[in-house]
Amino acid sequence: MNRVRVMRKTLPTLLVAIVLGAGFAQAGDLEEILKQMMRGQSAPAQPAPTQPVPPAPPAVPTRPAPPVAPAAAPEKPRDQLLKALLGGATTQEEEVRIGQQIAGNLLGAAPLVRDEALQRYVNRVGLWVALQSERPDLPWHFGVIDSDAINAFAAPGGYVFLTKGLYRKLRNEAELAGVLGHEIGHVLRQHHLKLLRQSQGIAALGGFLGRKVKDESELVQNLIGNGAEIVARGLDKDAEYEADRIGMVLTARAGYDVYALPAVLAEIGHVPRNDKSVSLLFKTHPPPADRLEHLAEAVGERLEGVPEGQSGEKRFYRLR
Amino acid sequence: MKATLALLSVCLLSAPAFAAPGVMLRDDDLRTAPAANAAAVGRVAKGATVDIVARQGGWTRISGGGRSGWVRILSVRTTAPATGLGDVLGAVEAGTARRDPGKVVAVAGVRGLDEEELKLARFNAAELQRLSGYASSRAEAEAYAREVGLRPAKLAYLPNPKRQSNQPKQNGSAFPWNEGGL
Repeated sequence: MNRVRVMRKTLPTLLVAIVLGAGFAQAGDLEEILKQMMRGQSAPAQPAPTQPVPPAPPAVPTRPAPPVAPAAAPEKPRDQLLKALLGGATTQEEEVRIGQQIAGNLLGAAPLVRDEALQRYVNRVGLWVALQSERPDLPWHFGVIDSDAINAFAAPGGYVFLTKGLYRKLRNEAELAGVLGHEIGHVLRQHHLKLLRQSQGIAALGGFLGRKVKDESELVQNLIGNGAEIVARGLDKDAEYEADRIGMVLTARAGYDVYALPAVLAEIGHVPRNDKSVSLLFKTHPPPADRLEHLAEAVGERLEGVPEGQSGEKRFYRLR
Repeated sequence: MKATLALLSVCLLSAPAFAAPGVMLRDDDLRTAPAANAAAVGRVAKGATVDIVARQGGWTRISGGGRSGWVRILSVRTTAPATGLGDVLGAVEAGTARRDPGKVVAVAGVRGLDEEELKLARFNAAELQRLSGYASSRAEAEAYAREVGLRPAKLAYLPNPKRQSNQPKQNGSAFPWNEGGL
């Protein structure tokens, strides 16, 4: 009996430690840890032998969002969520549930700026940009969090955040749209969800945990844990470049200056690299210069004939 | 003092010694100001070597062949090594960038957001609830766009250039906004 209780306490902690601490490349260590645990605990479940999932091509067309089944969550067998998450067939409902947990964790690290007008403004602009995408019906949420760091975050299912520090760097509404567009791009292409899936650790421990938790809610809690480092975790370069390309296009589609996102990147590139406010951003993203070079290459002549968009400078909501 | 500052900024603006060498990545109009509705005073051809002297918003100021003006930020890149000249360009920008007098620079009590804090973050249900309260409806967002005159434009997603052509990446190419620079 005691043993079980220890297990229930240890596993989530271990999972959090592995997901958040160790690199995913160290899957060998994880297997070793698991083996040891299995030997010591003679647990009923064994982790399925998992292969690292190769990164999916970034241009996977997103399935049309299925309608969210109201209040289906409690009946949904937890194993189904696990299989869905690990097998790559997450429903929108599951995606949102996972994002909710991560968003709540992130807000635990930095709360929303107490400025209702600001938050509503960012939500209007953000949703207008997201409406130009192939997933307009996700429950999109946008928030400015109270941190002087310069950064922005996305979580699955439509959660997008930027810091007050980054907001202060913006000169107009088009630049805000560009930053939100980049994060929307991460959500659209499920970059963080894929990161979760690709983790052998999650796969192995997930199979393990699936038999121990009561319901889906607890499962998600266990899978994601309490930390929010997943949102700041370095995605691969291609994912960042892809989000830049999407961000630029969505900005233009929404009627804004298509060059607003490159302008923000250039501005961020101007912040000294050793400045504390950008240390996490620069650690988890390619250098702004590389991102601009990639965008220049991707754009080529493709913006010829794109109507001149708005900057929205005059109506841009200024922080007090 | 004021005169000295003004003189200094004029020097920074005009002195070619502060410029970084660059190359045009595509044909572009040369404009008198960093705005799409500014008069075009000529055209610069792809491959042309120019001096990069400033940046503002989505625009880069270049000079060369006795002409100078603004081109789109993605139309030009520096051919200077990432070190040294980048810093010089940083100085150029520091001298020319529009300063926002209302901008408050935090000097104390900077609230960062580092990995450690994110790792230790605990779920905050109240803040999540607050976030939901701020969400915009589709109708609201569309009404806003109408009100401010945002017109949706058609533009296909940009394909990944790395997948199309496997051209080896040029070595040592650096934008003026490279590390420590613009």
